[in-house]
Amino acid sequence: MKILLSWLKNYVDLKGISPEEISVKLTMAGLEVEDTYSEREVYKGFIVGLVKAKQKHPNADKLSLCTVSDGEKDYQVICGAPNVQENQKIVFAPIGTVIPKGQFKIEKAKIRGVESFGMICSEAELNISDYHEGIMVLPDAMKAGVPITEALKLNDVVFEIGITPNRPDALSHIGVARELAALYNKSLSHPKIKLKESKNSVNKFASIEVEDEINCPRYSSLVVRKVEIKESPQWLKDSLTKIGLRPISNVVDITNYVMHETGQPLHAFDLDLLAGNKIIVKSTKEESVFTTLDWKQRNLPIGTMMICDAEKPVAIAGVMGGANSEINYSTKNLLIESAYFNPSSIRRASRALGLSTDASYRFERGTDPNNTLYAAQRAAQLISEICNGEVASGNFDVYPKKIFPIEIVLRYKTVERILGYEIDDQRIGEILKSLGIYPKEQNKEEIKVAVPTFRPDIEREIDLIEEIARIHGYDNIPTISKIAVTLHGRVDESEFADQVRDIANSLGFFEMINNPLVSEKLVSYRENPIQILNPQNIDMEFLRNSLLPTALSVISRNINSGEKDLCLFEIGNIFYKNSTEEIKSFGDFTESQKLIFIMTGRANNKEWYSNERFFDFFDLKGLINSFLSKISLDNFLNDSYYHSGNNLYEFLLTKSLVNKVLGEGGKVKKEVLSEFGIDQDVYSFEFDLQSLMKIERIDKKFIEPGKFPKIFRDFAFIFDNSILSEEILVHIRSEGSVLLKSVKLFDLFEGESVGKDKKSLAFSLEYGSEDRTLTEVEVEKDFTALIKSVTQKFNATLRGK
Amino acid sequence: MLAKKIVSVLENFRKDSSASIDLKILEEIRIKYLGRNGLVTNLFEELKSVSKEEKPALGKSLNSLRDQITSKITELKQNLTSLLEKEKSHIDLSLPGRHKQLGSNHLLTQTLNEIKSIFRSLGFSSIEGPELESDYYNFEALNFPKDHPARDMQDTFFISKDFLLRTHTTPVQVRIMEKHQPPVRAIMPGRVYRNEAVSSRSYCMFHQVDGIYVDTDVTFAELKGTLVAFAKQFYMEDLKYRFRPSFFPFTEPSAEMDITCYLCHGKGCKVCKYSGWLEILGCGMVDPNVFKMVGYDPEKYSGYAFGMGIERTAMLKYGITDIRIFFDNDFRFLKQF
Ligand SMILES: [Zn+2]
Repeated sequence: MKILLSWLKNYVDLKGISPEEISVKLTMAGLEVEDTYSEREVYKGFIVGLVKAKQKHPNADKLSLCTVSDGEKDYQVICGAPNVQENQKIVFAPIGTVIPKGQFKIEKAKIRGVESFGMICSEAELNISDYHEGIMVLPDAMKAGVPITEALKLNDVVFEIGITPNRPDALSHIGVARELAALYNKSLSHPKIKLKESKNSVNKFASIEVEDEINCPRYSSLVVRKVEIKESPQWLKDSLTKIGLRPISNVVDITNYVMHETGQPLHAFDLDLLAGNKIIVKSTKEESVFTTLDWKQRNLPIGTMMICDAEKPVAIAGVMGGANSEINYSTKNLLIESAYFNPSSIRRASRALGLSTDASYRFERGTDPNNTLYAAQRAAQLISEICNGEVASGNFDVYPKKIFPIEIVLRYKTVERILGYEIDDQRIGEILKSLGIYPKEQNKEEIKVAVPTFRPDIEREIDLIEEIARIHGYDNIPTISKIAVTLHGRVDESEFADQVRDIANSLGFFEMINNPLVSEKLVSYRENPIQILNPQNIDMEFLRNSLLPTALSVISRNINSGEKDLCLFEIGNIFYKNSTEEIKSFGDFTESQKLIFIMTGRANNKEWYSNERFFDFFDLKGLINSFLSKISLDNFLNDSYYHSGNNLYEFLLTKSLVNKVLGEGGKVKKEVLSEFGIDQDVYSFEFDLQSLMKIERIDKKFIEPGKFPKIFRDFAFIFDNSILSEEILVHIRSEGSVLLKSVKLFDLFEGESVGKDKKSLAFSLEYGSEDRTLTEVEVEKDFTALIKSVTQKFNATLRGK
Repeated sequence: MLAKKIVSVLENFRKDSSASIDLKILEEIRIKYLGRNGLVTNLFEELKSVSKEEKPALGKSLNSLRDQITSKITELKQNLTSLLEKEKSHIDLSLPGRHKQLGSNHLLTQTLNEIKSIFRSLGFSSIEGPELESDYYNFEALNFPKDHPARDMQDTFFISKDFLLRTHTTPVQVRIMEKHQPPVRAIMPGRVYRNEAVSSRSYCMFHQVDGIYVDTDVTFAELKGTLVAFAKQFYMEDLKYRFRPSFFPFTEPSAEMDITCYLCHGKGCKVCKYSGWLEILGCGMVDPNVFKMVGYDPEKYSGYAFGMGIERTAMLKYGITDIRIFFDNDFRFLKQF
């Protein structure tokens, strides 16, 4: 919201206080000044210029070659405006000035072969109005060379203030002035109302009826007759332009001005366009269409509160007036509406219509129900002065249930309990009074106050404490650097995920974080994705139901930027519906934390010590097993292998506990990769992290390292290709005696020398005992038995003996 | 007898030491002659039994034998060692080492971990909650009434009438307080979503850490103390700070904490929008309405709460100007940290 310094000064004395100080003061009181525009800064360097001579540009019909004088020197300036004339006084922007509109700096330019040293400005370029058809022409009396800030009295300051939703009282110049008055301990003065009323009573010209008293607790109205609709006077146009509003006509400008002055939205109807000269406030009982004054058709849902005349709706209450009763240049008689509407009713209407206006913005935050009549009278007074209107005597004021200031008890002790700091009782009283909150009763312990109706945010004791802290200054509350520690069990729910991250790092994997909002394509690999009802765009319409597609997108992007060897992981949540039904409870969907490892490209680069090698399935398998052993799950899960895989993977590997699959992965299918434009192999594995975390671990026990020497034996066999290495390993482990401590597959060979459909596998066996040194004889006995057993079981042939 | 033996030992030693030997063989030779049972040592034993007249002369030549052998062995040893060094120098020690790649955590995770460890040292637990939330936890229980403009502060993605993607991690506060009686002291990191247009300064998804401390007699002064201690540890020891009033429906009084812009040291620059201050977090005293929602007695307990964005924090700390870089997962970015 834009607030004008000169406008504020109508209500509070700010003499001797710099705009910078006001800005800091407001910010530190919770009205954050986000930006400050000082006209002195904005128009720095612009001067009054005299057009001494005007010629045609030699190379362009529409351009003029002007000689502009600053009173001392002459400048050659090219101008494209049709209205530039000799002997005009104009706004001249010399080289180095910055044009307010568009923020471009004037430099020496060559236009169609002729040099130009500056610019003659239009009102639009100066952000003075929208007018851009011609240059701004200044009165002849102005002296060339005088800065325009002086000549045009451009010495105002505009504050851009971010008003939080709890402070509707500050959405006006009087509201901000009230805050400054409190902060500087000054008095606030409201404009005095002195209406010259005619003999004719308002009742003669109109009548008001409120059907919906709940949503319209108060409707105040005045009638002004015989107005002359025309352009507003300059001061009024300037005030509105400087706060970013476009002047329209005197009556409309006055209603806007009074809204920005008092915070009370007003609407002026052309009384002669109101059928029966009647106003009825009621809510729609069926869906209908209504044309608002911006000439747009609006679909009104049932229950929209409308302002109607005897026959038809004429405005959407609190949101926007209708085209059918709008003020126009032939309007003579006015009805000024100044109402208090129920905030949530206006918010619902504004949301349903997708239409937010300056009026609805204020109504939905809560206006002051006891300020309606004042605002209407203020507008009537200005209309009578500026538009020569005749104010009818009396007013309409439908206010069946008066809204009174609420009373709150503040205990001084609570102030200290919450702030950790005692503020003097007397100071508390002063602060509250400065905000218009007056004491009703008080004693040593507490004070009972009445909160004015312009502060709907103050309802409780705690709200008063905030006001006290705010005006007293948060900086004046001490900073206690000692923490009163109460010891209690500390938990860390992300501990497991953090441990997983550390392991992934040590395995050479980099963490990525992806946006879970994805396109429909990326959720098509799994069932029941969750759709966003109000997505930003179709690329972010669903919640991901697997980590793989987003990871593949990352791989694809990186390959395109030249990074082809990638080891990445991510920990993130996936989401899916538990059925196709609409989500009504937490039981209708699943959100679970997953972990994905994904790798592509080279496992080893070509180096001086090694050849290049690309990742394969066994890199993935080894990685997963290393990972599981680090989280103590190496002997818990069962592996299953499927060559043809599923819709995502070939060479599918799953890890399960009993019959529950806790993770799956493998080589990502070519068809899937091609959808992501990836033409190199990708291996990936996705775990359910929550399930992994929940598995009951068996506590690790210390095993004394063996003191006695180990004995190693190797053997190699030729097997049929169909026999799985895993089966052989399991067989050797189970057939070996207690002395066999471990067995390892250390060589695989396939080729002509071992025969077609055959393979040679070599194993290394480690023997040992905890309590003695083994003899060659006892090892030999076990080893020989194993050779026999493997040979028989797998129809294998022992090699090399 | 002994004189003859001395000569023969010397001759044998010459023969042994002139053969092609290495350090290992040299050591064997040393033991053979000078060891405890060595040939020279044994001759000294024999010296004990020779006559008094012979003893001085034989002793002299025996000493000479021992010295000759000792110095020859020392010389040989030096030669062999330097020869070995010379052989070794054929290996180019400047060759690059065999590379072992380590991964790293995402910069946001690293930033969060830094924040977590500071609050961990202050006795805060770390608790997580769901990203898909109900309207109740995300808004109602946090004192955002339906049809209230405060909801406009957080543009929301809905997935059904009453379910949405959480717009802040604050709902986890409610979940913790529902489960535990005070004292409650925890931070709540997590992912949140806002239906805001994507630009260099804002993204539709980001990460937050919320914090809460509820007990008897927790005060605003203590809130300031904790957050100042955090900021000093996280940003820099000698920073200037300010708390200014703000509005959050779930805290009262509410504040925003600014620290001096460390890029311009308060002089004003583009990053701090020429104000000299950087907003780092929002905070306040837990609103009594929130206590009522979770069944705490606001007359007995008080508490503070705070929340900060991780992306914003990381951007400030590492000088990143475009938030989208966090979610592009460009490997060149990931490898930097
Ligand atoms: Zn700065």
